[in-house]
Amino acid sequence: MDVSQYLEIFLDETNEHIQNLNTQILNLEQNPEDSDTINEIFRAAHSLKGMAGTMGYKRMQNLTHDMENVFSEVRAGNIKVGPDMIDTLFQCLDAIQEYTDNIKNTSDEGTNDNEPLIKLLNNYLNGDSAAKTPEPSKAKEEKSKDSGSGDAADKWNSIKFNDSQIKVMKEAVKSGLGVYGLNIKVKESCILKAARAFLVLKAIEEKGGEIIISDPPSQDIEDEKFDLDFTLIVLSEGSVNDLIKAAADVSEIDKVVGAAIDVDAIRLDDEEPAESAEESAAAGPVPAQPAQTEAQAPARQAVSPTASNAKPGERKPAKPIVNRTIRVDIEKLDSLMNLVSELIIAKNSLVSASGESASGLNSDFNEKIEYLESVTTNLHESVMKVRMVPIENTVQKFPRMIRDLNKKLGKKMELYMTGEDTELDRTVVDEIGDPLMHLLRNSADHGIEPADVRISRGKPETGSIFLDAYQEGNSVIIEVRDDGNGIDVDAVREKAISRGIITAEQGAAMADKDIINLLFSAGFSTAKEVTDISGRGVGLDVVKSKIEALSGEVSVKSVLGEGSTWTIRLPLTLAIIQTLMVVVGGEKYAISLGSIETIETIPENDIKHVENKEVINLRGQVLPLIRLNELIEIESKPPADGNLIVVIVKKGDKMAGIVVDELIGQQEIVIKSLGRYIKQVKFISGATILGDGEVALIIDTNALL
Amino acid sequence: MELSNDLGNLPSAGSETKKTKETFQYIVIKLGSEDFGIDINYIDNILRMQQITRVPRVPAYLKGVINLRGDVIPVMSLRLKMGLPEDEIGRNTRIIILKIESEGSVGVIVDEVREVVTLTEDQLEPTDEGKGPEAGRFVSAVGMNGDQLISILDIATINLDDN
Repeated sequence: MDVSQYLEIFLDETNEHIQNLNTQILNLEQNPEDSDTINEIFRAAHSLKGMAGTMGYKRMQNLTHDMENVFSEVRAGNIKVGPDMIDTLFQCLDAIQEYTDNIKNTSDEGTNDNEPLIKLLNNYLNGDSAAKTPEPSKAKEEKSKDSGSGDAADKWNSIKFNDSQIKVMKEAVKSGLGVYGLNIKVKESCILKAARAFLVLKAIEEKGGEIIISDPPSQDIEDEKFDLDFTLIVLSEGSVNDLIKAAADVSEIDKVVGAAIDVDAIRLDDEEPAESAEESAAAGPVPAQPAQTEAQAPARQAVSPTASNAKPGERKPAKPIVNRTIRVDIEKLDSLMNLVSELIIAKNSLVSASGESASGLNSDFNEKIEYLESVTTNLHESVMKVRMVPIENTVQKFPRMIRDLNKKLGKKMELYMTGEDTELDRTVVDEIGDPLMHLLRNSADHGIEPADVRISRGKPETGSIFLDAYQEGNSVIIEVRDDGNGIDVDAVREKAISRGIITAEQGAAMADKDIINLLFSAGFSTAKEVTDISGRGVGLDVVKSKIEALSGEVSVKSVLGEGSTWTIRLPLTLAIIQTLMVVVGGEKYAISLGSIETIETIPENDIKHVENKEVINLRGQVLPLIRLNELIEIESKPPADGNLIVVIVKKGDKMAGIVVDELIGQQEIVIKSLGRYIKQVKFISGATILGDGEVALIIDTNALL
Repeated sequence: MELSNDLGNLPSAGSETKKTKETFQYIVIKLGSEDFGIDINYIDNILRMQQITRVPRVPAYLKGVINLRGDVIPVMSLRLKMGLPEDEIGRNTRIIILKIESEGSVGVIVDEVREVVTLTEDQLEPTDEGKGPEAGRFVSAVGMNGDQLISILDIATINLDDN
């Protein structure tokens, strides 16, 4: 069977399941008894197994199968979840991840059988778990072991017959037919289970058997909605052995057991379960006591993941609640976005054309243009929203990571996340994972102190790391915060000097804030000892460049002894922004509206000088003044009335005033790259094409501050 | 564009074939008093001089950016790049858009676009590398079209960012 075309879907879904499992197992660690979580884990493991099986990845299938088995037991209450088990489960996830990665890279799952893990899992299933589980289930388990593969051979006894079925059976007996229960188990390696099952059903019918009941229902069997075995109630003239042989002759069938059913013993009403019930039931294919049907069903569920009891859980993922989403190739969205950009440029040119033509000539025309404007703006927003995904997918893996770090570093810490539903452009979300991971590791490794130090400092023993995401205006802020040690500015200063990043004099003159920013320079690592978690010195500078590549920025605030806050600010959209168009020296420039606080008119003689630099006092706040014309090296025409037009821009808590000649107004623009030839200019973030076809440059005020 | 198979605009020295002479097509442009040839394979478009948006704080030869069908393309002065006097923008001034695979598109300003010539390899004389005047750095060969001498520009060198 050629499954290569499904590879991508397989990888996608596998990753989702792994992620889900990670989250759920973490949950389980907190609430070991939570049945919803256990069910969810069981389902995810089951789906993984099914997918791996379909794709022919045997090793992955084996491992997931055993995980599923363990969870089946947990679900039934036969095994208690302990910390060691959680560890094992996480190791299993890592192993599955490894398979997945291998598959992704080479289309092959690799050769690691993960025997030790499988053995561990089986230990839970066997000896270990039995000791931990309460008496009755222990008894059951042993019995199930006795019966060989751990499967109940006589599952037909656990089928609950309804009145009409009983009637049919009784009538069959009267007319001399045998009523037989059959349990057919297909081989684990079997890929086309449904096809094998179908052949079995056919073989039985050819032998003159009439299948009156099947569990799961025949429709489900055809749809492959069963685990490894299924149970049939068959009416036949022949002997049960004929039926068993017919079924067993089908290839890839592992085992077939069958026995006659004592129809007379079946009663219409429930009865008290007899004490001896279990004995006889577990003894194997003997005429069972139908009276126990009721009592046995729950007991059986405890024993193994059978088709019948796995079903209720399985069904949910198989039939998802009406899924109204589709997967779309990101390239298609890119081209859609490009078209929207073109449309906005075209719209802008219409707007400027209408402005040039004799105004008032046709007010109707202007109305139409305004309408067009609102449509294109909405269209842009919609397309943008389509590209937005919650950062959830990216941050989901972090609780697990912190948990692992807990153990690895021997520290106690807890990760609290908020705003996982905050949305960002898909491309940004894909890229933001690594920088965030680095910051979190950094907090865990360098920030949070060992428990004894924390106690001596009067802090709670368990350190807290916070990951908060929220939208602010046109940006998304992601904060990584910890209540750890904070940044030791003097240590950073010393280090920077010893590394030759700054001279001793520079170090002495630099403000703490600037010293802290040195952390983002290449080749810096303050950890006293280098661990494999962070501190390879290739960290924060990479974080910074990665975030800047996404047109974002990263900053840090820290109080020694109290903790640090790393703030990442990312633009909501990369392609189209609202700007203020200004004129300097006859040239047009765009300034992103997102960074503009206010626009002020300042009399030229209000300018003061501090350290030979121009500043203004704006409502009690002293702001540096930036002459844009000096920056862009052009003659500016002096203001006629002695008043300067100053655009107040903001970056975090830093503000500055930018002097411009003229304001044109607000405009929605499409950002275009300046290309590879021109990239030296730090404060120019790109260019845009104006309505009249002219190119205007975009001033990156963040680079000015 | 069906002609020369490789991007290099120089035939390997002393190549043999007499039967089917390899031919190369060049667009002949004028800079000052000299004629230069640009391999036609590099040429994407030839535009009339248009408004160029200045980009601050870049080397002088980078004149700025223009809008080419919705794309922002940098434009450089070939004269300044080659150490010749500043361009005199006139009626015949053109911007030639060169498409270079590794670096994207770039426009170069030339005084005039004259013609397209087809030269065979024996009409091309490779120059010694790195020799000659400033402009010579960018010339890989001299083509002889009758008594007209055409300096063949090595586009790769021109676009190499040497700042």
